[in-house]
Amino acid sequence: MKAFRSLASGSIAVRLAASALFWSFFILLTAGLILSALYRDTTERAFDARLLAYATDLASDLVAPGNPEEREFGALGDPRFNLPLSGWYWQVGRPDAAPRDIRSSRSLFGAQIPGLVPPGDDSRFGEVRKGYRSGPEGRTLRLVERDVDLGEDGRYVVRVAGPADEIDGEVRRFTFALTVTFLLLGVALGLTTLLQIRFGLRPLMRLRAAVSAVRRGHADRIGGAFPEDIAPLAEELNLLLDTNREILERARTQVGNLAHALKTPLSVIVNEVEAAPEEIASRVREQATLMRDQVNYHLDRARAAALAGTLGTITEVAPVVAALTRTFEKIYRDRDLAIASDVAPGTRFRGERQDLEEMIGNLIDNGCKWAARRVQLSALPVSEGDRPRVRITVDDDGPGLPEEARATMLKRGQRLDETKPGSGLGLSIVGDLAALYRGSLALAHSPLGGLRVILELPGDGA
Amino acid sequence: MRLLVVEDDKHLNRQIVTALEQAGYAVDKAFDGEEGGFLGETEPYDAIILDLGLPKLDGVSVLTGWRRAGKRTPVIILTARDRWSDKVQGFDAGADDYVTKPFHMEELLARVRALLRRATGHASSELVCGSVRLDTRSGRVSVRGAPVKLTSHEYRLLSYLMHHAGRIVSRAELTEHLYDQDFDRDSNTIEVFIGRLRKKLGVDLIQTVRGLGYLIEPKGEA
Repeated sequence: MKAFRSLASGSIAVRLAASALFWSFFILLTAGLILSALYRDTTERAFDARLLAYATDLASDLVAPGNPEEREFGALGDPRFNLPLSGWYWQVGRPDAAPRDIRSSRSLFGAQIPGLVPPGDDSRFGEVRKGYRSGPEGRTLRLVERDVDLGEDGRYVVRVAGPADEIDGEVRRFTFALTVTFLLLGVALGLTTLLQIRFGLRPLMRLRAAVSAVRRGHADRIGGAFPEDIAPLAEELNLLLDTNREILERARTQVGNLAHALKTPLSVIVNEVEAAPEEIASRVREQATLMRDQVNYHLDRARAAALAGTLGTITEVAPVVAALTRTFEKIYRDRDLAIASDVAPGTRFRGERQDLEEMIGNLIDNGCKWAARRVQLSALPVSEGDRPRVRITVDDDGPGLPEEARATMLKRGQRLDETKPGSGLGLSIVGDLAALYRGSLALAHSPLGGLRVILELPGDGA
Repeated sequence: MRLLVVEDDKHLNRQIVTALEQAGYAVDKAFDGEEGGFLGETEPYDAIILDLGLPKLDGVSVLTGWRRAGKRTPVIILTARDRWSDKVQGFDAGADDYVTKPFHMEELLARVRALLRRATGHASSELVCGSVRLDTRSGRVSVRGAPVKLTSHEYRLLSYLMHHAGRIVSRAELTEHLYDQDFDRDSNTIEVFIGRLRKKLGVDLIQTVRGLGYLIEPKGEA
């Protein structure tokens, strides 16, 4: 029972197949047993009919005019009655006669056929009695017995026997053929059941494919028509997706509102304190900057954490890079920077557009802050084992970083040069976001002379 | 130079307006998106400082509206939303610069100066016309190296003419760009200020083009 339950919970297909198998087996077995029993009955009857015909022959010899004691018996026309111990025997005599008074077939070789009723038992007198008895050499015999009443000449019993293995053999042959037929039938039933299961479960497979497409970001919702059994399920899933998206959107809006709500008063404080003595003003400025950075950092983390585990979307990398390049050309238009980008066609990131913008934006911004003339970005799909990845490389021709400084650079909030604008949280936010997406961030020496930042993120192979 | 500040926080709005006025600009203010959008579309501002999180109509919509109406006025976006996606959205809507809160007033003033310079095609923060030098950063004016003390109205007038050196500036344009909307405009005052300015500078820098307006030649006095 336990095994069955675990089987049943494993798979609907297995569940259906198991129950179909069980019931087919049960029905086929029952049908086989009934058929086999019926056949045995029919075969027995036919056998008995033959034996009875012989017995009737013998009885008619017996009732012919003249003294039965002196009469010649046994012209039954079957040579097996003359073949010793052939299994085919007949015997005629008085029920209570001594052995020598009994006539019997030559095949009996002096032995006797046991009676079906004990001598003296008259309860079944006159019936044609049938049954099995053990005969000479321990062979089982099928036996037919009938009584012949000759009035004053007394009662006689006619017994004719044939070997029971002939019936058994025929039944066995039949059962064998039946078993083979039923086995083939069972296999055919099994195959049709499998086809039925596949056909019947196809909408479920389709549903699974649709859900998986949503998870991998190829679709927004579960589309297509489903049979009415699972259409409500698809609908519920769509509602769940909507709710999920709504929660995400709300969280994002709330985070934005919180940022706005905190930063405007912070601006007022910072500007109000300008009139205060420089010592106080600078301390307030410093603390306000710290607050802003902390707010940014933790809001980003909170937002990103809310994101993790939600259903993914796919973002094309090229438009994001194009939009950011456009923006940075405006931001740094006074600095004569060349921002070049090279995105391989079909480069896709498995995640939210906003996060990709945040990561690439911080990388380009970092590059622009340090670069002398050039910032170069390249993005291409790579595969790591069987997992598709996106590799984004940002190079600048700035001063670069010595190797030991690169390791500390990625730590939270680390800023190596306090004179450059920006909180220094940029790269560590990129690192955090990348980690949430199970990506990685690495620093290296750039062929342009400055720093190379390599960001690897989950991609989309399809 | 006349600016518009659209910011819904009253304290911050007052701080920005005060700082800009002290730096010698004529400043109008609006506290919501609808009012700001209307002012920006109807008044000839030299630059606009626009908050994104505004009541009634959000900043991006206001900006998109201006750009769609063909307004090319330089716009600095002022916002607490500092994600790159927000910045991309702002720049794509037509912003020229982006300042995130909290900010230092000095930084905002520098951005405003840079924006005005860029809009009028000047590379340096110091405008020079012959012997007259005007430092937009410090708001100081000197003639042949000697500092000249100007009132804020005089400074605004000179700054506008020097920013647009080589072009005839009409009296009406000067009125529109030098005074905020609450100022009692009287075209005579322009002439009064021009007269005072000529006297203080002591050089023949500002020419009167009869029937059209005033002109400063880029290379200086005639």
